Amino acid sequence: MAQHSEQALGERGLDRRQLIGAGLLLALGVGTPIALWRRHAEGESGSADAGQRALAERLSDLVVPATDTPGALAARVPDWLLLALSHGQAGTGTQPAGPFATVRAVGAAAPMGLGWLDAVGRQLNAMARGDFVSLPAKAQHDLLAALDAEAFKPGNDAHPWHKIKELILTGYYTSEIGGSQELRYELVPGRWEPDIPIGPQTRAFSSDWTAVDFG
Amino acid sequence: MSATFDAIVVGSGITGGWAAKELTQAGLKVLLVERGPDEPHGQYPTEMKAPWEMPFRGMGDAQEYLKSYPVQSGNRHFNEFTQHHFVRDDINPYTVGEGQAFNWWRGYQLGGRSLTWGRQCYRWSDYDFGANKADGHGSDWPIRYADLAPWYDKVEEFVGVSGSAEGLAALPDGRFQPPMALNVVEQHVRGVIGQQWPDRCLTVGRTANLTQEKEGRAKCQYRSICARGCSYGAYFSTQSSTLPAAQATGNLTLVTDSIVDQVEVDPVTRKATGVLILNTATGKHMRATARMIFLNASAFNSVHILLRSRSELFPKGLANTSGVLGTHIMDHASTLSGMALMHGFEDRTTYGNRPTGIVIPRFRNLDKTDGRGFTRGYSYQGGALQSTWTQGKRMPGIGAEMKDTLHKVGPWKMVLVTYAESLPRASNRLTLDPVRTDAHGMAALHIAFDHGANERAALADAKTEAKAMLEAAGGTYLFGFDQPGAGGSSIHEMGGARMGNDPSTSVLDKWNRAHDVPNLFVTDGAAMASSACQNPSLTYMALTARACDAAVTMLKDGRL
Repeated sequence: MAQHSEQALGERGLDRRQLIGAGLLLALGVGTPIALWRRHAEGESGSADAGQRALAERLSDLVVPATDTPGALAARVPDWLLLALSHGQAGTGTQPAGPFATVRAVGAAAPMGLGWLDAVGRQLNAMARGDFVSLPAKAQHDLLAALDAEAFKPGNDAHPWHKIKELILTGYYTSEIGGSQELRYELVPGRWEPDIPIGPQTRAFSSDWTAVDFG
Repeated sequence: MSATFDAIVVGSGITGGWAAKELTQAGLKVLLVERGPDEPHGQYPTEMKAPWEMPFRGMGDAQEYLKSYPVQSGNRHFNEFTQHHFVRDDINPYTVGEGQAFNWWRGYQLGGRSLTWGRQCYRWSDYDFGANKADGHGSDWPIRYADLAPWYDKVEEFVGVSGSAEGLAALPDGRFQPPMALNVVEQHVRGVIGQQWPDRCLTVGRTANLTQEKEGRAKCQYRSICARGCSYGAYFSTQSSTLPAAQATGNLTLVTDSIVDQVEVDPVTRKATGVLILNTATGKHMRATARMIFLNASAFNSVHILLRSRSELFPKGLANTSGVLGTHIMDHASTLSGMALMHGFEDRTTYGNRPTGIVIPRFRNLDKTDGRGFTRGYSYQGGALQSTWTQGKRMPGIGAEMKDTLHKVGPWKMVLVTYAESLPRASNRLTLDPVRTDAHGMAALHIAFDHGANERAALADAKTEAKAMLEAAGGTYLFGFDQPGAGGSSIHEMGGARMGNDPSTSVLDKWNRAHDVPNLFVTDGAAMASSACQNPSLTYMALTARACDAAVTMLKDGRL
């Protein structure tokens, strides 16, 4: 469906940058016929458009970059993030509320979960005074770090960034790369050692299920 | 299949498995009826899966859960690896009282909740069996600890319970396999509590996970993913333990996908003649007859069957001439009483996933009345743990710095969860919903349940004491609660067909036999006349083994 809509837009002479621009206008609350048409063409199916995918890729990479171990892009976290949002994971099945409410065409069905990503995108674009995704990586990092700091101030629990960040971390640390290369994964430990020393190289376990649930 | 048996056992969970084992080993021909599908031991489909091998990384499809599992998905052990061990709420409805909530967490498959249970095994003491008589809540138990002690021995030895003997009057020691060790922080907290409060004891949770091999069962592999099913047979379940023992006798007939609609009674002899069974695969009913019936369908479902089994002789439900069937249901009032950051052990960690936590047995209202505004008591479970990557959800930060932080073993925390005794009250009761039916056209169960002031006062005290103990151990208390979760949240729902000496105030006698129907036994949680504050499954198993022994004797003596 998304592919079809991009093709249709292409026939009308819009390139990807313009598409994102249209998304930005929508994000800023400036309803445009093309943006509404784009939503309509996708049938509000909940599948992500190119702009949402681009944002998912940048956010995932910024939260968990490649270091001495592979990062979120190698672990295909953006795919997970978009899948997770389209199924309402981590409480994204209901739309963000208050100042983070999603703008959408009257009568259109709620796009499951993706509204949370859109809300973060709107904030970042507003902070960027333009298109966040097309900024240089350093500038993106600084803006996202500022947004992260703001979201984690006391009383800001409803900020949509919490859910997006949670899903990015979840996608990475439950992937094979994040779970078994970055962290340790041992499905069958075979023994219990109640008191052992931690060394400088000791890595956490992704298979410590109690820690995953309650840590 | 021959439709005539010596005994019919309804339900293949923890107590049904025991009844099948005991009765077949005594030489009886037994029909075991399970309402859900078969799940063969060793063929647990998600047991060895990693999160990245699951479509939703082990967390499951939130959209599907909202539609099909809105209640079950609130269970701590419910996830993508275990969801097939829970019922679908949309096709297994029940109703609750006005303004009330009840989490009826269930598993309808071979083995029932024996696959997903918490495995904690605690004996009751005479503080518990004597409680109703002592303070007047509920009706007196017809048995005391001495009646059940030999059966606790028998059950523990077969189950394989690892634990530490502590010599506590409120929590009698049993026949234990070697205990799993406390971790370094728990060991420290044990020492502090023991020194500052000599009447309190922190010990490792007594659990049905093997630390030594038993026949056909390997010892625990320290995975702590038990609810997926364990092909090692390292924890007690119907599949790993009682079912193979029953099948080895050659006396067992097992049917799955078969719901017992009603227990049928001869109006002249007033004895149960058999059961009417709905085969959910074919939609057809069949009848099976037997010389005696054991109901082990789980507390609420056994009561549900009795309520459904109305006749001219028993218009209010089978075995309900007293009118107390369905009443006095209970579930422990539980809450997270305290979580604290623990300091001084930053250079220590553990290896492996121990499948049990700690327990601090009841210390209130034992030999002195020291509960502030409440009778009876509560106990804590929980443990010390270290954080892993999930702490990142609550932390500010992005990028390489955050990745580096989450790479490391996180800080130690200690958690204390309280289970408070639930007083038996007539107003907490099960009835047949007059309107709602399930997918098979059977009347849905209606659950009216509220925790009371006694439970709330106990939880308030538990929060105060949890904070005191965690801080005494050097912890930084983070938070805790003093209000219980919705009824059912402890998954210790019990009562509804209580045991008692008086047929006018109880449903079952001292042998778990219906006062009204001499060849009908109910030996699951329905039989409970009070709740104590211990996890109840071990007591259900001991009651079942004891009742089976009595039933076989009665049968052989021609008294049934």
